Amino acid sequence: MDAATRGTGNAPLLAVDNVTLQYKTEQHLVTATYRVGFEVYAGERYVVLGPSGCGKSTLLKAVAGFMQPVEGQIRLSGKQIKQPGSDRMMVFQEFDQLLPWKTVLGNVLFPLLVNRRMPKAEATEHARELLAKVNLSRFENIYPHMLSGGMKQRVAIARALAMEPAVLLMDEPFAALDALTRRKMQEELKALWDDVGFTVLFVTHSIEEAILVGSRILVLSPHPGRVKAELNADHLNFSDIGTPAFEKVHRRIHDLLFADRIETALATETH
Amino acid sequence: MADTAHRVVRMEPPRRPERLVELDTMGVVSDAARPLSIPERLLQITGVRRLIVVVVLCLAWQLYAMWLNNNLLFPTLGETLEALYDAIVNGPLIQRTLTSLQILLTGYAAGLAIAGIFTTLAITTRVGTDFLSTLTAMFNPLPAIALLPLALLWFGLGAKSLVFVIIHSVLWAVALNTHSGFTSVSPTLRMAGQNCGLRGLSYVAFLLVPAAFPSILTGLKIGWAFAWRTLIAAELVFGVSSRSGGLGWFIFENRNQLEIPSVFAGLLTVITIGLFVESVIFRSIENVTIRRWGMQN
Repeated sequence: MDAATRGTGNAPLLAVDNVTLQYKTEQHLVTATYRVGFEVYAGERYVVLGPSGCGKSTLLKAVAGFMQPVEGQIRLSGKQIKQPGSDRMMVFQEFDQLLPWKTVLGNVLFPLLVNRRMPKAEATEHARELLAKVNLSRFENIYPHMLSGGMKQRVAIARALAMEPAVLLMDEPFAALDALTRRKMQEELKALWDDVGFTVLFVTHSIEEAILVGSRILVLSPHPGRVKAELNADHLNFSDIGTPAFEKVHRRIHDLLFADRIETALATETH
Repeated sequence: MADTAHRVVRMEPPRRPERLVELDTMGVVSDAARPLSIPERLLQITGVRRLIVVVVLCLAWQLYAMWLNNNLLFPTLGETLEALYDAIVNGPLIQRTLTSLQILLTGYAAGLAIAGIFTTLAITTRVGTDFLSTLTAMFNPLPAIALLPLALLWFGLGAKSLVFVIIHSVLWAVALNTHSGFTSVSPTLRMAGQNCGLRGLSYVAFLLVPAAFPSILTGLKIGWAFAWRTLIAAELVFGVSSRSGGLGWFIFENRNQLEIPSVFAGLLTVITIGLFVESVIFRSIENVTIRRWGMQN
């Protein structure tokens, strides 16, 4: 990417400005988020955390350009986001995000070739470098259906990073993995961030994952999603799991998320 | 201590010592994988199993025909093969087959092209979707052969009329399957494609078509079978022109002359070509595409 979008200046890279998102189901018009605002700076690991129904995935889809806000604006480097684009590569939760008819290498190459980013030989070399970074060099000629869930997600991450996006969008990328693989992937993502230094907007419903992965955490409340808090979590790492400091932050976020649970429980009872 | 009124029996498992095993001391598994014997290996091959079915059917044919002993109604396999050899070497069978195949391929290709245009329109615009579903609902149940009298009126006695009815028989089957394949592509894969920068025609060509390839291939197969059937049936009615007629005409001609073994030879040719296309051409396409991609087992 050019210097403008990668810049380390004081202007935010991504600005989500009072965004209200709505979508239609068969019977309802659902308000997913209501006047949500936050800013992401270059180099941040920005985590959007909330229970299911807080519109965090919808928010990420809006940043990706798959839907338009009914109110407010989303800007990337000052430019309003109008449609999907490869400057905001996305890693989805579902394993079927990879193209089954392309090999592992072919998948990583795909966006590079579609966007004519570089000549094929150069692109291949670049894609191989990224596959090496996610430890998949040995599997480059394998088709996705032969990979495990964790490997598929690593291919998706390599494919996204190959495009050198201004911001990497991750929609609960490890939620469908088993607990052991998930922890390993979280560690690898962080190591990759140390190595490559990208900006990531990460959506999760796991408090622990938010603390481990994020440098800054946006806590959303559900139905519709509204901003509850914005916290710093850069000081905690994998070695801190189980320590009182970690537990304290965990408890604080837990209380933020579930503070009004008793009230809502009472409210639903009186219905 | 225990409340006898509830009669809850709580099992008490014994407390057992822990166990730690050094893997080296366990020895090696001797027979983890045994090579298959030759007959076992042969039966693993689909082609071999199918060949056995064909051989059994041929035997049954030969035995039944010998028992019936009436070659006007049901000639033996031997007589049929003899007639087939004769028709290939001395007779017009090869010429007839080529005529049929040429018309068939023309109609098939044209049908596919039109189906491609229709489904692309249908996937990109809403009007296109309505247009395609309505037309498919109207014309898919209409047997192509029912259009033949009309085609003869419009295009005259000849190849053009046949191509027309073949297009009709291919078009709707392929369009219907392709379109339903397109609509069943997973939302995640669609978003991933758009996210990678695919738009418009490149989105259709590089994402929807390969993603929907299992359905498309099914459509191609059904279309092929429809086209082949329609062609033979249409030729049975009038040939192309009697001088350069196709396979259907060959069958019709021989029936009129009561050359029943030759009729069977013609039918056998139709079956053989059908079998070849299905189990060689389409199967190899499947092997290098949807099977390799893990979309079908």
